[in-house]
Amino acid sequence: MRYEIRVEGQLSEALTEAFPELDHVVMSGHTVLFGQVVDEAHLYGLLARCQSLGLRVMEMRQLPE
Amino acid sequence: MSEPEESDAEQTAPGADPQGDPFLRTRFVVPARPVAFLRRERLVSHLDQALRTPLTMVNGPAGAGKTLLVADWAAARETSVAWLTTDAAGQKPGMFWAYLLQALHASGTPLPAGIGCPADAGRTPPTLLARLAAGLSALDRPVVVVLDEYDRVTDPEIAEQLEFVLHHAGDGLRLVLVTRTEPLLPLHRYRAAGDLTEIRGAELAFTCEEAAALLELHGLRLPEPAAQGLVERTRGWAAGLRLCALAARESPDPQTYLKEFEADRTSVADFLLAEVLRQQPAATQDLLLRVSVLERFRPELANALTGRTDAEPILAGLCRANAFVEHLELDWYRLHPLFGEILRAHLRVRSPGLETELHRRAARWLRGSGALTETLGHGAAAGDWQFTAGALVDDLAIGWLFTGLRADELGELFSRMSPEAAGPAAELVRAARELSRHEVGRGLGHLRRAEQALAAELGRTTTGSGPAAGLQELLPDASAPPAEWGPAGAQPALAEARLTCALLEALAARLTGAPGRAELAAAAAETLRGEVPAHLLDRHPELIALLLAHLGSARLWAGRFEDAHTALTGAAGAVPGASTALAREDSLGRLALIDYLNGRLAGAERTARAALTETERYGLPQPSGSGMGRLVLAAVAVERDDLDRAQALLEEAAQPHPALRDPVMEAGRAIATARLHLARGDLGAALATAERTVPAAVASPWAEGQTALVVSAAHLADGRPETAVKVLQGLPDAAPACTVASARAELAAGRPLAAIDLLDRLNPQDRCGPAVTVRALLVRAQAADASGDRSAARALVALALREARRDGLRRPFAEAGPWIRPFLGAPTTRGPGTDAHPRGVRPPEGPPPPVVEELTVRERDVLRRLALTMSTQEIAADLYLSVNTVKTHLKSAYRKLSVGRRNEAVRRARDLGLL
Repeated sequence: MRYEIRVEGQLSEALTEAFPELDHVVMSGHTVLFGQVVDEAHLYGLLARCQSLGLRVMEMRQLPE
Repeated sequence: MSEPEESDAEQTAPGADPQGDPFLRTRFVVPARPVAFLRRERLVSHLDQALRTPLTMVNGPAGAGKTLLVADWAAARETSVAWLTTDAAGQKPGMFWAYLLQALHASGTPLPAGIGCPADAGRTPPTLLARLAAGLSALDRPVVVVLDEYDRVTDPEIAEQLEFVLHHAGDGLRLVLVTRTEPLLPLHRYRAAGDLTEIRGAELAFTCEEAAALLELHGLRLPEPAAQGLVERTRGWAAGLRLCALAARESPDPQTYLKEFEADRTSVADFLLAEVLRQQPAATQDLLLRVSVLERFRPELANALTGRTDAEPILAGLCRANAFVEHLELDWYRLHPLFGEILRAHLRVRSPGLETELHRRAARWLRGSGALTETLGHGAAAGDWQFTAGALVDDLAIGWLFTGLRADELGELFSRMSPEAAGPAAELVRAARELSRHEVGRGLGHLRRAEQALAAELGRTTTGSGPAAGLQELLPDASAPPAEWGPAGAQPALAEARLTCALLEALAARLTGAPGRAELAAAAAETLRGEVPAHLLDRHPELIALLLAHLGSARLWAGRFEDAHTALTGAAGAVPGASTALAREDSLGRLALIDYLNGRLAGAERTARAALTETERYGLPQPSGSGMGRLVLAAVAVERDDLDRAQALLEEAAQPHPALRDPVMEAGRAIATARLHLARGDLGAALATAERTVPAAVASPWAEGQTALVVSAAHLADGRPETAVKVLQGLPDAAPACTVASARAELAAGRPLAAIDLLDRLNPQDRCGPAVTVRALLVRAQAADASGDRSAARALVALALREARRDGLRRPFAEAGPWIRPFLGAPTTRGPGTDAHPRGVRPPEGPPPPVVEELTVRERDVLRRLALTMSTQEIAADLYLSVNTVKTHLKSAYRKLSVGRRNEAVRRARDLGLL
């Protein structure tokens, strides 16, 4: 399954490196991380990673295959 | 029944966890507040309500200031608070409770003696939680327990158990959870009952005034609109404000700087951290990035990672400046969890590949300071398996792979070991892992390779074959040059690895039923024991306990009961504690088996129950731990004609610890099962079970004897006395039980003289309990009866009954045959009319007459519920009957059981095996 996670703020290169398995695109005032998510556990893991990096999740949704 | 010892390792040695590994004391310490900490009274007074509600939850994102708020509140309290910073994610219940108990001990909370402690990371003894809750509820005033970083607890079982303890501790416990995520507790229930104090993210956010006050503590004065803008940009986020203050302070014009920050669109933490980091001197930046791979650290450890010597002043400075680093206690520090995560991300970008090297350095430093668990973690993270396996072996900690709180965790850790890792230690760890899963063949393969590697390192040539192949390598070489000895001149090379090897050899010997090899391994271990540092043996009492248990079991298989008893008693008497629990329980189970085989049921039951108590107290792998205790109890239950109970016990013992599933266990299970089939009259199943061979290197005399007993009894019951006689004749070294069975078969074959002759040859000095002597008496009685001497027969049966009473032995009377019936209903001791008892079965010990009339299905239903202490009304509701109908059933059941009261009825029904 593919997901995209929109977090508040523009992420630095270092922080996007904390999500090596996802692609990202930096937009005005927010960053979209997107890519293949292995399973539920991975999904919750990504959320926890956002939290532990102090990121504010604005939106998370599944993408059509 | 023997009571478990009252003093525990974990109580007498508060510095050590049940494993003997030094507890990470920093986890029990209330974190210190930084110099520029702002106490916010509105939150403190809200938190004071925590004293009135059982549960308090402080819930907010990383860096919201949760921990410091609670720490500040806790430090201001007069009575001490039990503080526990929970461990890394994925923690198992056993480990969690072990640490929580330790936190309570550390806070000086008086808990009942003998409360116990989990011995298996994955399991918690349910009664331990009940004991804990009861102990807490008895406290004069409630203890405040703070669980920091509770979000790391993800196991729903822990939440359930916590809820149980919280509920049953009543007013004795005030639980404060500090967490980033909503815990898995039924919060709505607590909320509805007004039992929950809740401080959430919105309340934790800094107001404008608070933000201004905080910045002032950092030496920044802001006009109100500026503070307003800052709060909006950071959403009142404590960590953001803190970083902001640090960054602004360093810039030439703080006001402008803050304005720029407000306008910036970068993610707050990211921006600020990069800013603050950039402002630090290069040495500080380097240190911060490097220590980000550590959970906690001391200046020396940080130095080991940087390769410099300046960590102490840098850390003290950072701590004073309230930047990144938090002080724990003494000279321990940690990074603020939020920043640690971001710094690790920076480290990966700036120095790819350095992380592995840092883990390697950390592992080496920690090894030197004796923190084994953390050493192993970093060694594994570095992928340095030779070192990691070596650390485990050299610490004499190989037993941890089999038993204790960390068995699962370490098993998982070493399952990642790369196949390339070579050397004796890596092979020993592989061997231990295979043996712990009962993969004996593969385990032995690794063990051989370990021995060859050891021999190579010692500069010896391996011996090719023979009974002691590989084992010589373990022994110190008398002719070896002194160069083999360590620099101190006191320690031979590789003594720890060789002792580890001896332990695994003993285990393999036990699993393959090879007593000779076990003796050789034990002898080698005995020599090596004196050559390893004593403090390592003290730290790992499980090593010797396991060794003795293996040795004792191998001897038991060989039928050398006396020698087995010596070794097993040694293991059973090991230092109490979680790490030795499995070995002690296993040994007690096997001591019970010896009692059973000697025909001493009461002793067997007592010892087996002590084994079960041990299992229960330490929450060993349920349902059975090693399972031996339950097997013996099942066999005892068969002898007491309590067949349903025997069946239930056998089912419970179906999943023994794989590393303890040896021929003794297999034979014990076969015997108990076969005897149960026999008692149920299922002769075919009994024969099939008894004759299934247990694979082992050497044959076991008692296992053969017991098999022959079952087989001959089955033939006898099926009317083939000659075959029964023949089966027993083939035995090389007949135990008294077999001689008695032979006599019975001879008698059945119509040769009473031969029978009596056999019995006369029994040595009265022999180790025989009632299970043997009673059967012998009954054979004599039957012979007397057959010869027409009824009074002699009656006297002998009476003697047998007396003898059987203490052990509650019933089976011999049940299997004796129809001739015994008239003698059991002797009018001198029994009421009239009981002679008509339909079965030959009857409790020999008590005055109550046997059940003359069978209970109906309904009556049994009612009795069963009565045994669960349900009231008449509850039983009626449960069975969809009227109360009057239940009373009628009860009355009729009382009449049939010849009792007058509830508990008498339950007891009697239990005795008769009706429940």
